Amino acid sequence: MRAFAVVLVLTILAGAHIVSLRKLTDAARLMPKNEETASVVPPAILRITSLEFRSLVSDYLFLKSLVFIGSTFERTEKPRVKNGEWKWVYNTLDASTTLDPYFLDPYYLANAFLTWDAFMIQEDNLLLIRGSKHRDWDSILPFFVGFNYFYFLQDNVNARKWLLEASEKPDAPHIFYTELASKLSNEKNRTNNAIAFLEEMTKKTNDESLKDKYASRISYLRSVLQVERAVELYKKKFGKQPSDLKTLVQTGLVREIPADPYGEQLYLDSDGHVKSSSNAQFDVIH
Amino acid sequence: MTTLWPIMLITFKEGIRNRAIYAISLVALMMLVANFLICGMIMQEVGKVAVDIALSAVSISGLLLVLFVGINLMAKDLDKRTIYMVLSRPISRPQYIVGKFFGMVLLIVTTTFFLSVFAVLSIFMIKLSYPHYFLRFSWPLVLLALSFITLSLILLSALSFLFASFTSSSFITLVLTMIAYIIGHSISDVYSLIQASQFADIRPAMFIVKLIQTAYYLFPNLSFFDIKMQAAHAIPLTPSYIFWTLLYGLVYSSLAIAGAAMLFRRRELP
Repeated sequence: MRAFAVVLVLTILAGAHIVSLRKLTDAARLMPKNEETASVVPPAILRITSLEFRSLVSDYLFLKSLVFIGSTFERTEKPRVKNGEWKWVYNTLDASTTLDPYFLDPYYLANAFLTWDAFMIQEDNLLLIRGSKHRDWDSILPFFVGFNYFYFLQDNVNARKWLLEASEKPDAPHIFYTELASKLSNEKNRTNNAIAFLEEMTKKTNDESLKDKYASRISYLRSVLQVERAVELYKKKFGKQPSDLKTLVQTGLVREIPADPYGEQLYLDSDGHVKSSSNAQFDVIH
Repeated sequence: MTTLWPIMLITFKEGIRNRAIYAISLVALMMLVANFLICGMIMQEVGKVAVDIALSAVSISGLLLVLFVGINLMAKDLDKRTIYMVLSRPISRPQYIVGKFFGMVLLIVTTTFFLSVFAVLSIFMIKLSYPHYFLRFSWPLVLLALSFITLSLILLSALSFLFASFTSSSFITLVLTMIAYIIGHSISDVYSLIQASQFADIRPAMFIVKLIQTAYYLFPNLSFFDIKMQAAHAIPLTPSYIFWTLLYGLVYSSLAIAGAAMLFRRRELP
């Protein structure tokens, strides 16, 4: 009788345990998360409270943002990540790099996602500049800064400055960087320069999904280059701008007008630059 | 020395027989196993994270050893009145304190040595699995970081002896040692914040500035011994930094033990 009572009580308790845990998990999911409020403990406080485990806390914060970004790939809604959540990722990576400014991975993660996905270019550059100040042996971070200035912010002066900074580092391909920096001033070469930059970015990354991103961007830029050359040929042949890109196909200068990576068509703006209708602010090289 | 030797040996034996050591080693082993799992998630600097975790594992378990095994070694003698057995022999009270402390030093060195072997082993295995992600890495710095951890534990233990020499219960010693540890690791950040307060746009009251300046000289500055970040990124240290840190650790520990011996000599035992 006593044994039966014990088994009964234990079974009830085990059942109650499972039910309460499930209910609690559901309830916790509905609570506002850090990612939504973008709040992270200020780095100055973290520095003091993490005692001697500063670089361990830095690793932890990096992994936290990595896991968060990974988890968003399962989402179906658009946009995949809310703006507040990107702000949280930035704050977390900012804290991680304040605790250990030499740690390469948070800079890498920031550069992979805060640019192409979050369009937080200025914030990304702030992190990368912090990193390049500390990692004075490493050319990749100033190279990233230069790329961001060139590609997203369309600021060739700063792009040149950072590319030259990168070329001074011990591990840099010095001649290639200085040559690329000198080519930047030529606006007409923009598409070519972008391809050169992206090819170098591909070389510097081990991440397969990032490599795919760059590859699709490069193949898109190559088709833009093709169209741009056709426009130049058209100008030489007929002495005027083509009215639109279809004219190029009709005159046989290109076989077809390629689509951009977002599936939108390219078009010709009033100044004769080849542009894309999607995401025009950041992704189109004119 | 001949009178110190038996006390030192007995303290060491007593400490090594403590069951808490197994639990502490288990914590360290679990962290070192976790090292493999975590390093698999790192994209670029696997070496840095591997060194971080390995060194922190040694540091945490050493801290547990000082706080939970070390403090009890002294307190047990007082609580169980076994101290009378020792003091009735031709051993002075200062000799007793110094002997106990050397026993504790031996215990700390032995335990951190074994933990360090496991830490080095885990870094070595991860280095074998991901050789391309260990571009900036230096074994000498890792070994130096491990010795600095050992030295900072010895210093903390000396401080716990100082507290134990005048407090009435081991719990108070534990709390005081923990406070000293926390202050010791944050004092240099707070001190530099006070020094550069005009840049941070804060105006601390004068007495707070004085208080922190006093605390800076009174409490051990344990952050000098923390070179985990330098070891993880292979950032070289200057020989003078190494020399002054070693000297600082030895001088502070000696001061603390001398203070403990003096206080303990005047103490009235129940």
